[in-house]
Amino acid sequence: MPMKRVISQCLKELMQFQRDRITVALALVLPLAVMLIYGYAIRLESKNIPISIQDFDNSFLSRTYVERIVATNQFVPTPLLRGDPTLSIDWGRAKATLVIPPNFSQSILTQTPVTVQVLVDGTDVNNARVIQNGIRAATQFFLSSSHLLPDRPQIQIVADVRLWFNPGRDEALYIVPGIFGVILWVFPSMLAAIAMVREKEEGTIVQIYASDLSATEWLLGKELAYFMVGVGEAILAFSVAAVLFGIRVRGDPTTLLVGTGIFLAAAVAFGLLVGARAGNQTGAVQGTAIAGFLTALLLSGFIYRIENIPMPLSLLSNVIPARYFILITRDAFVRGTGWSGIGVAPGAIALMGGLFFFGAIRTLRRMQFSD
Amino acid sequence: MNYLRHILSDRLWSLIIKEVQQILHNKQIIFLLLFPPTVQLLIFGLALNPAVTHLSLGVVDYSRSADSRALVSALVENQVFQVQTYESRQGDLENQVRTGQVTAGLVIPPDFSQSLARHQPAHVQVLIDGVDANTAGIAQGYMKQIIQRHTQTLNAGQRLPVETEVIFLYNPGLLSSWFFVPGVIGVVLTLTGSLVSSTTVIREKDVGTLEQLLMTPAAGWEILAAKIAPLFVLLMGDVLLASAIGRVIFGLPFRGNYGLFLLLSALYVLVCIGIGILLATLANNQQQVVLISFFFNVPLIQLSGAIAPIESMPPFFRALSFFDPLRHYVQIARSLILKDVGVEALWIHILALSVFAVLFLGVSINRFRTQLS
Repeated sequence: MPMKRVISQCLKELMQFQRDRITVALALVLPLAVMLIYGYAIRLESKNIPISIQDFDNSFLSRTYVERIVATNQFVPTPLLRGDPTLSIDWGRAKATLVIPPNFSQSILTQTPVTVQVLVDGTDVNNARVIQNGIRAATQFFLSSSHLLPDRPQIQIVADVRLWFNPGRDEALYIVPGIFGVILWVFPSMLAAIAMVREKEEGTIVQIYASDLSATEWLLGKELAYFMVGVGEAILAFSVAAVLFGIRVRGDPTTLLVGTGIFLAAAVAFGLLVGARAGNQTGAVQGTAIAGFLTALLLSGFIYRIENIPMPLSLLSNVIPARYFILITRDAFVRGTGWSGIGVAPGAIALMGGLFFFGAIRTLRRMQFSD
Repeated sequence: MNYLRHILSDRLWSLIIKEVQQILHNKQIIFLLLFPPTVQLLIFGLALNPAVTHLSLGVVDYSRSADSRALVSALVENQVFQVQTYESRQGDLENQVRTGQVTAGLVIPPDFSQSLARHQPAHVQVLIDGVDANTAGIAQGYMKQIIQRHTQTLNAGQRLPVETEVIFLYNPGLLSSWFFVPGVIGVVLTLTGSLVSSTTVIREKDVGTLEQLLMTPAAGWEILAAKIAPLFVLLMGDVLLASAIGRVIFGLPFRGNYGLFLLLSALYVLVCIGIGILLATLANNQQQVVLISFFFNVPLIQLSGAIAPIESMPPFFRALSFFDPLRHYVQIARSLILKDVGVEALWIHILALSVFAVLFLGVSINRFRTQLS
């Protein structure tokens, strides 16, 4: 009965896993720790950006203007250094300097257009754009609230903007479903790879050679065992996210259930492949774990839009399973459109998982297993 | 003088030579020193890009007039938006936004042109996919600005009483790689440094050759110094490799003093070696090193501002990031590579890095010595 042998191999694997207490603790605590750090610390929208102000005019109007700019929680004023508008940016104390010319209020009163200069620290690309937009919006607001806009423009176009799914622009709603894609890939695959390498390092693989267990049965046993560990991690991650970040499944839960199952299986298969290929070098596993971690983190659209990845690299991102899983989680937790919204994602993950598992079997076949 | 003679003693040199040979024999470490840093720098320098451009836009134009077409072309003019589809019914467009096929939708009502002609406020509806909160916010801001500017043009180029002229210093083209590559250099040094040094130390612990070394007359500090010296040289090689890639491929300007950059990178390399040895003393075997290093490196990278800006973190994490050595190195690297500043602007980060170097090396050497005896 091959099925029975797979199951007993799986049970043996799980027993061995739970005996190493430190590894068990790390396997459960690490994903949560990563989730907490990412869930709370990654925010892309900048607030409280330090800005220094050089007001050459120092009139009632210019002070009102400055007040308007720092009234939003987007900017906080910070002192100018030695009267030099760029020095505070050079030294990293301010991200921008607003220079108000001496003729500011006079020009406004005589209705001649006046230009204020904004020096922005361009080293931080994301913030630079946010600052540009923020200053322009605040200037507009200053003009309309001080009744300085030309009386009633003749032509007016008003955009009524609606943000779907996330009207409050809560960033956790974007980040947390992405975190699932990172941690449920990295940790199950890493544990499986470590288990594989350990077997070779300690020489216990020789005993398997001697038994009549085939390579496929042995691998399926390991796959099943670490799949179950992964399911445990997934349940833990989903529940903690529900409690701490209020992330709940919207609509049809079957996409999430099926997607998570396929994704975990693919992650474990990837780990087995890495472990099978790595010889007995844990360093190699560590290197691969880091590489896997960074690709799942950075090429999956977890933080920045996947459309921004340029051409040859965007091909690489097409074979990152986390990318497809994040599509599924964002749909399940935020959009809620169900099977119609996720397209080929489950199929793509299953295809890659199958390739990983097949690769692991082929690698092991070259060793001395019984057929 | 006696001390100096001691440092340059034959024994230390032969230990160093032994370590160098061990490393050179170990193809894996050479591989880890060359391959991942190069690949990481290239991939992340190219892939990380927070720009909000070419957002896909779906349009439902019920008005079908010259005015509505002018509005659409104003929106796509500077490439923030890109028309992907024209739909004939609003329901179809809503469906596309819902499934994420388009990021933004614009609905122009049938009476758009008439309202403009009658000088009444003409409303258009904009739907934005809010799943990516940050992009949605920026898209919303752009949408309003563009429409406002378009309105101004329609009102015969009427100028606003106050206009803003924005000048981007240091990186006028806002190249995202200029922001990310200096940060990724720090990330690469952290990962490679802690990985390589923890593997070399734990291997000796695993295989049991550490006990053999202890039998020799070499003192504990000599064993460690001999381990650290070649690692230090190799990791400095990584610094040179990384700056060459940054210079040649990404065209980083390196405006500050390059000698100072090397000096401070050396300081940070020492911090990384300290972290690596600390990891090796915390773990009992190689498997645990792999897991524990995650425990260290993930927060280290995430709080450093190398990947997402520090200004956007909640206040607690912003304060916490001050205790992250990588944050200080990233700030130093960005300042020296992009701005022409010197020690006077960076002293606080240099001070912090020195404290971390002493702290990590001190603690790890101490733990290593107590574990030896």
